Amino acid sequence: MARIIGGIGTSHVPTIAMAYDRGKRDDPDWAPLFKGYEPVAQWLTARQPDVLVFFYNDHATTFFFDHYSTFTLGVGAEYPIADEGLGPRPVPPLKGHVGLSRHMAESLVNDEFDMAVFQDLPIDHGCHSPLTMFWPPAPDWPGRIVPVAINVLQHPLPTPLRCYKLGQAVRRAVHSYPEDLKVIVVGTGGLSHQLNGTRAGFNNTEWDMKFLDLIDRDPGELTRLTHADYIRLGGTEGAEEIMWLAMRGALSDGAKKIHQNYYLPMTAAMAVALFEEPA
Amino acid sequence: MNPQLKGIETLAGTHVFDLAASAKALRLNRFLHGLTVPEQRALFKGDPEAAFERARLTAEESRMVRELDWAALIAYGASFFCLEKLGRVKGVSNPEMVAGFRGESLEAFLKTRNVPGAR
Repeated sequence: MARIIGGIGTSHVPTIAMAYDRGKRDDPDWAPLFKGYEPVAQWLTARQPDVLVFFYNDHATTFFFDHYSTFTLGVGAEYPIADEGLGPRPVPPLKGHVGLSRHMAESLVNDEFDMAVFQDLPIDHGCHSPLTMFWPPAPDWPGRIVPVAINVLQHPLPTPLRCYKLGQAVRRAVHSYPEDLKVIVVGTGGLSHQLNGTRAGFNNTEWDMKFLDLIDRDPGELTRLTHADYIRLGGTEGAEEIMWLAMRGALSDGAKKIHQNYYLPMTAAMAVALFEEPA
Repeated sequence: MNPQLKGIETLAGTHVFDLAASAKALRLNRFLHGLTVPEQRALFKGDPEAAFERARLTAEESRMVRELDWAALIAYGASFFCLEKLGRVKGVSNPEMVAGFRGESLEAFLKTRNVPGAR
């Protein structure tokens, strides 16, 4: 049977990809970010997962507001790298796990999560900007992904509790898939930042630290906050960290945070946290 | 009123992208989103006025894009993530756009950051 062996929460700021693509590992301005991802990359190398299930958001790149889904599950075999205005990043197309994703679609819909599905569409930095930091292509990607896109752009967004419950349903889906697969769940986004209005540039490290603590120790408290709370505490775009709740919901209560890193160089707080399931 | 957004109206300097903003700026956001398509990007780079006309932008929408008036664009209802495409095509970084929202120069904004070179 497939099983979830761990989880990763990570920011998906586009400059993370830029720093990787431009080889900034030894640049003092970026070294703290690269260093923070090293333990995650080493853990993945040691554990050799087959599939990464990605809770992420599209940035009005692949999907547009003429038809904007709340939860959309990728069921394709391959996803091109999206063109976000400068042409695609120089990394290979992402490879999807068709069998697991089809099973997840059936399981989720029968579990009353009525997912939209997509295939043969490109994926933007919301998924692959952090991915190259911990699962770099050498030269091809080490495994397959199942993307789950969440609307965090156009209100009404799914509630924090709904995101957590989606994660729980994804756990039931993965754990009922008959093939022996080691699966990691990833939630991307945040932490504090705001990209509009005169409040743009807002950060709140105190809240970010509290979030990194609660997502491990008491995610239930995070599910009781409203979007307005998230926006007040972490900025309009910081509210996308509700996608971490989907990741956390897909882990067991016994999962433990074994590493975290936090770096706030510019506009968005860049964090990564690694969670491990008990053996 | 969306109960998840209760109280947000008291938060100064903040635009929430909701269905009203999305509807108001749909044509503008569609134009900006179109900059991910190489042909539409090439038209905008080569003949911006023709691109505005093809997208049926209003005079004010065209002006805001032409002048990269970031503060006006975001107040009007442009999605930041659609504006990000315009930023990339015009060679404008996100910190510079954020400075625009704040009504500051890039230099002034960078003085408030921990690592001004990380962009």
